[in-house]
Amino acid sequence: MTILGEFALWISLPVAVWGVVLGFAGGRSQRGDLVLSAERSIYAVFGLLVIACLGVGAAFLGDRFEYWYIANYSNTNLELFYKVTGLWAGQRGSLLFWAVLVALFGVITVITNRNKNREFMPYVAGVLQTILLFFIVVLLFADVNPFERLAFTPADGRGLNPQLQNYWMTIHPPTLYLGFTAFTIPFAFAVAALLNGRLDARWIQLTRRWILTSWLFLSVGIVFGMRWAYEELGWGGYWFWDPVENASLLPWLTATAFLHSIQIQENRGMLKVWNMSLVLLTFLLTIFATFLTRSGLIESVHSFAQELKIAYIFLSFMGAVLALSVVLILYRLPELRSENQIESFVSRESAFLFNNLLLLGAAFSVMWGTMFPLISEGFTGQEISVGPPFFEKVNFPIGLVLLALVGIGPVIAWRRATKRNLQKNFTIPVTVGAVTGIVLFALGARHELSLVTWSISAFVLTIIGTEFWKGTRSRARIEGEGYALAFFHLITRNRRRWGGYTVHVGFVLMVIGFAGAGYNMDSRFNVEPGDIVEVESPFGHTYELTYEGLSMSIGRGERNLLWQAIATVSVRQDGVPKGVLTTEKRQYTNRDTQPMTEVGIRSIIQEDLYLILSAMNDTGGALRNDPGAQGIDLQVLIKPLVNWIWIGCLFIALGTVIALWPSVDRTRLAREKAVGSTESAAAGAD
Amino acid sequence: MTLYVGVALVAAAVVLFILQPVVKGIHASLERDDDELTETEARKRVALLALRDVEYDFLSGKLDEQDYRSLKSELTAEALAALEADDASRADHGSDQEIEAEIARLRTGLKVGARCLSCGYTNAHGSRFCSACGHALTDAVAG
Repeated sequence: MTILGEFALWISLPVAVWGVVLGFAGGRSQRGDLVLSAERSIYAVFGLLVIACLGVGAAFLGDRFEYWYIANYSNTNLELFYKVTGLWAGQRGSLLFWAVLVALFGVITVITNRNKNREFMPYVAGVLQTILLFFIVVLLFADVNPFERLAFTPADGRGLNPQLQNYWMTIHPPTLYLGFTAFTIPFAFAVAALLNGRLDARWIQLTRRWILTSWLFLSVGIVFGMRWAYEELGWGGYWFWDPVENASLLPWLTATAFLHSIQIQENRGMLKVWNMSLVLLTFLLTIFATFLTRSGLIESVHSFAQELKIAYIFLSFMGAVLALSVVLILYRLPELRSENQIESFVSRESAFLFNNLLLLGAAFSVMWGTMFPLISEGFTGQEISVGPPFFEKVNFPIGLVLLALVGIGPVIAWRRATKRNLQKNFTIPVTVGAVTGIVLFALGARHELSLVTWSISAFVLTIIGTEFWKGTRSRARIEGEGYALAFFHLITRNRRRWGGYTVHVGFVLMVIGFAGAGYNMDSRFNVEPGDIVEVESPFGHTYELTYEGLSMSIGRGERNLLWQAIATVSVRQDGVPKGVLTTEKRQYTNRDTQPMTEVGIRSIIQEDLYLILSAMNDTGGALRNDPGAQGIDLQVLIKPLVNWIWIGCLFIALGTVIALWPSVDRTRLAREKAVGSTESAAAGAD
Repeated sequence: MTLYVGVALVAAAVVLFILQPVVKGIHASLERDDDELTETEARKRVALLALRDVEYDFLSGKLDEQDYRSLKSELTAEALAALEADDASRADHGSDQEIEAEIARLRTGLKVGARCLSCGYTNAHGSRFCSACGHALTDAVAG
């Protein structure tokens, strides 16, 4: 099976070349037979890449350590689950997985468009095959072939990095990859629109769902990564402005900008060049993200020399995409002129525009901070690291203004807002925001940034809440429905609007959670069994933690464990027993890693109690089960509001799904609506 | 041996599958859809949706009466222009002449209709009083 997989990967190369040539040739000559063949070549590449993936999977399951990839990412004792997900555990498999996802989305695109949007399809097929070809070339020629064989067969593999042996880590990368790869489809349609000259709002309508889908996976994937870092890295944080995290944030920022700016194009016929550029840029950034995370360039700057080939291939591809994009946009510039101009600085349009500038500003700063160490080392030979302070200094203010815009956008009038419009809509929310700040201050909150964040959050939530309330109320009144039904109909009749607002609620909840970090508590105790320590939460209650003792289990080689030390702590909150938490140190047999820490987390709605077994007083003694060697260093963290980050993410996912949910029959509905509004417009103007 | 047969079969299947359209001359359509919105239809739709949004903003209390009227008369004019452009683009579609003429007359009325000097509201052509504020309209302001 593995060898068949390897052959399949090779066969996919000429097939992809064929698809590229026929797609573009078919589009140029308008020959349907060439186009059909190009479309079929996408099915074929998909099938071949699936066989290749199965080949890698078979090698994992069969412990075929003669393959470099298997020898480096698995071993005999690895749990079955991690063998199955081994495909995306390392760079080589990930690149193959990436390619197969692009092909999968390509197949879905070809199937769903077999009877519509035909004038776009030749170029869409051509572009998709070009991207697939790129990945196939990388896999085969950039020293990252997952089927590469070692000169000898090792007795066992090196095993999987223990940090990756976590369920979040098995779903986080594929989710993120789904987001990255789904963006290939909007890119293909955008290029097709530039090539065939159909630059009206059509390509935006065609790709909106793909962009939302991609955005959903990106958002959820990023939060999965945060959750993984929070649970597994054992230091209580979820975001460290690490290059790999930043790489996933960049396309998210530009895709978010795009989702907002298309509304101006749809409503006002403006920003066509901008929107086109954002799609091309976002796609470029998804490739850039693969490049950063999967070329080994950033992880260690010194591996640059070893990975030179893949870096060059990636850079050339990105350069080519960039150059072609610029040329195509310049070529179509006359047809991309704006139909309207912004009338007033104080209007919904300019709020959208401002939102875009801020998101792009954030993207630029993240990009700069991520690349600066590399550039600096390239020129001066000195490594300068750009740490969280830089990113926070730049992005916190941007984030706060964006947060405020989330509230301002929905209620400020299109075209130009008058003073009365502003007064009418902002008096109450601004008051609520200010009162929230004052009340929190009176309650003892003194962290300035958190206070400002919560005040603005209260302002935004008031506005969105009022929107939902007013919408429901007027619907209930006009249609004579009950409030629950009116609320339901309100959302289903304009899913984009209300789905969007739901996403905004999620975003605000996440920001509230982020601001909770201003009140993180961190204390460290050296404890012996029976010791009791007390920690006070910022919410006023007190945790009483009793260290019950350490239990050691010496590894039986199962699950690759050498030994495992489990510290048990019983928790009382204000004197009420709340059960037992455990935190562990684990030493794995493979890899020369430090012992891993498993943390103990107790979540309540307002905060997490987070226990870390930071060190054992006498590891050797503990391993011999020496009764006097049970003392440990126990780190106790309290993470206020951290759960609102995850809850916020649920809202974001829910809102996106609402916005994505297909209507009964969109075209028919749109027509009826158009007719209906004509009548009401005529009636209203009479 | 079995392996090579397998590889050969896969390769042959792929080649047959992708070459078939070219060899047998099976064509995929490259025409745009009939039911797809045309450029003018899309514009019309956008204009009407903008009107709907203003209505919504007014009904839900986000716009006050005065802002609503001025925005609305502006958008109505734009929507009418879009409607006309759309009609012009498919003028060859046969339809009831008389009704079309009547609609056209009404639209012209709306478009060049009397703009109230007092509140700026655009009234139907031939109105004598502003339907928004009741102010008397004279012929001088019509058009």
